[in-house]
Amino acid sequence: MIRRRDLLVGGAGALALAGAGLRPARAADEVVVGVLYAMSGASAQVGVDARHAIETALDIVNADHALDLPLAKGTGLPGLGGAKIRLVFADHQADPQKGRAEAERLITQDKVAALVGCYQSAVSNTVSATAERYGVPFVCADSSSPSLHRRNLKFFFRPAAHDEMFSAAMFDFLDAQRAKGQTIGSVALFFEDTIYGVDSANVQRKLAGERGYKVVADIKYKTNSPSLTAEVQQLKTANADVLLPTSYTTDAILLTKTMAELGYKPKSMLAQAAGFAEKVTYDTVGDKLQGLISRGSFSLDLAAKRPSVGAVNALYKARAARDLNDNSSRQFMALLVLADAVNRAGSTDGQKIRAALSATDIPGAQTIMPWKRVAFGPDGQNTEADPVLLQWVGDKFVTVFPDSAAVAPALWPMKA
Amino acid sequence: MTSTTLPAPAAVPATASAARAFAAKRRRTLLVGLVVFAGMAALPYLVRDVYLQNVLILTVMYAALSQSWNILGGYCGQISLGHALYFGLGAYFTSVLFVTYGVVPWGGMLAGGLASAGVALLLGWPCFRLAGHYFSIATIVIAEIGLLLVHNWDFVGGAMGIQWPFNPDSWWTLQFARDKVPYFHFALGLFVAVWFVTYLIEDSRWGYWWRAVKDDAQAAESLGVEVFRSKMAAAAVSAFFTAIGGGFYAAYVSYIDPESVMSFRFSLLFALPAVLGGIGTLWGALVGAAILIPLTEISRSYLGGTGSGLDLILYGLLVMLVALARPEGVLSLFKRTRTARNQEAAP
Repeated sequence: MIRRRDLLVGGAGALALAGAGLRPARAADEVVVGVLYAMSGASAQVGVDARHAIETALDIVNADHALDLPLAKGTGLPGLGGAKIRLVFADHQADPQKGRAEAERLITQDKVAALVGCYQSAVSNTVSATAERYGVPFVCADSSSPSLHRRNLKFFFRPAAHDEMFSAAMFDFLDAQRAKGQTIGSVALFFEDTIYGVDSANVQRKLAGERGYKVVADIKYKTNSPSLTAEVQQLKTANADVLLPTSYTTDAILLTKTMAELGYKPKSMLAQAAGFAEKVTYDTVGDKLQGLISRGSFSLDLAAKRPSVGAVNALYKARAARDLNDNSSRQFMALLVLADAVNRAGSTDGQKIRAALSATDIPGAQTIMPWKRVAFGPDGQNTEADPVLLQWVGDKFVTVFPDSAAVAPALWPMKA
Repeated sequence: MTSTTLPAPAAVPATASAARAFAAKRRRTLLVGLVVFAGMAALPYLVRDVYLQNVLILTVMYAALSQSWNILGGYCGQISLGHALYFGLGAYFTSVLFVTYGVVPWGGMLAGGLASAGVALLLGWPCFRLAGHYFSIATIVIAEIGLLLVHNWDFVGGAMGIQWPFNPDSWWTLQFARDKVPYFHFALGLFVAVWFVTYLIEDSRWGYWWRAVKDDAQAAESLGVEVFRSKMAAAAVSAFFTAIGGGFYAAYVSYIDPESVMSFRFSLLFALPAVLGGIGTLWGALVGAAILIPLTEISRSYLGGTGSGLDLILYGLLVMLVALARPEGVLSLFKRTRTARNQEAAP
């Protein structure tokens, strides 16, 4: 009985496969790219937004657009005789095992030329390992864990910044403020107890030591705590020149409310994005955060420096009914960077695309990001992906750092 | 079957012929098992696609894990919703011993299995004094505590997890870059081992004690069954095999982090196939896994990319259907038709 059932299941699967193989034969005028995100579950929204962002980039490559971006003008990839890119989306549900299985499916069944993904660092980990085993390039759009590019992978490429680069930019900014005559002597670390918070604090602690800032408070708190009163009391007592919070949305809101209740006004706040980059935080407690500075990968006011930002945002908004943000801008760029390499490779062969990716050199002006350039080191990390610092002024974010991207000088100290 | 060919001696007491029939049935079960397992071992040679091979591996792995859960949950009636703890222990023991100390995964799995059995005994000491729902709740809470501990313990990688190094293909390190067949055979071997242990237990003193505990612990105790020790033994055996499954999973995926081996959904995934197929039966876990895992995997792969959640709706519908139509599990469908057939043949 069971034997028969197993056979049936296997047979049904085999049939489904045979059917898949019979899809319209892939002509040479098509390059297939696999895209892996969580399309269901708790972080499904990120996956849905990613789909819109990457489809926007696809449209720019495949159709004719009068924009100063790679492959915008003309249709398809001229290096492959005008071939078009086709995307195949897969759902990894934020599970490393499923990410691995889906990557394998895309590579062996859909014969993808390259992979893009995956948001969750843990999933990017297994997906990039699988890509490596099959010799297929993986462009990591938006996972920012520094460990990812330190595994000697040959087929891993990350155009965007990793977390250590973000923290370094924050301290570069503090140094710049010091150079302008501000007295900044002490910092307070306040971080949640996950990979994200702990990693962030470790780097900040190290940088503070190296650059001569005294850490007067070093507080790890439990994510989604019901109360932060005790922690805020400690922060108030320490009263550092700069408070460096690393928190997700609910904790960011609770921290802000608790500080107001206990009458603690930090002299300045320099946040590690996440909760302090979320619109809902500012909808709730924005009035108490006037002058807060957060790091970011992207900002809409970059339009002043990067002419394509406005047009790309309009294209994206037409699909997603929202503006580009930190994540969707990086996802958008990931496909453009990959398409540029495939075009130069003139082939769908993994080795050739890998070689072309290694030789990538896209000037910052041809991106929608504050980056200087896109050029990968031997570890696959783009070393010139400058982050930006954004200051919350009135009811919007203003880019204040680095000077190459800034549209206004920073207000310091903050005036909450 | 044999009894029909022999001249039925009227003098033989009813119990003796029943015992003979039972022994024949046990032999038949073993024979069916051998045939089924031999057939299954050939499956990856018939299905050459690596994606479908992955589905087969997960199916057999969850069948083995669910059968391990079934030993405590199905036979002894102690519904644990915290088996992710033992799974995680196995995965972490195997990974830490291999990556940090270079101990081959086989050793890590055995160590993880023994450690899990020990932990199950330690936890059983207080928890088995709780009955029914209270026991289930306690297992959930303990597994969550385990998850938090691992999250904050830097020695085992904390939230960063543990990455297995790239190794050449070898049975010794259980690493195969592209080949899926060895993984399938390991998973099948684990399932066969758990199945056989369950088979032996069914007709042992422990097996009878456990089922007595499941039916009515107080009545069992009044007849001399050592209820507490029964539960402890079932928990240890169940935890041991669950941890070996965890070690296998770590070797297979080559990367673990706390969420990907110890989250609550694993505890549910171990219970569901057995419950769906038929709780407390030899074949329930395999039948349940053979329905559940291919359905979820294939529907996610071919429908999930749309972001519509259709795959999850299908999954929920199936579980609801079985819960409503056959609360005893899918296997009971066959059982009933056989009984009905026998009844028709009887007169």
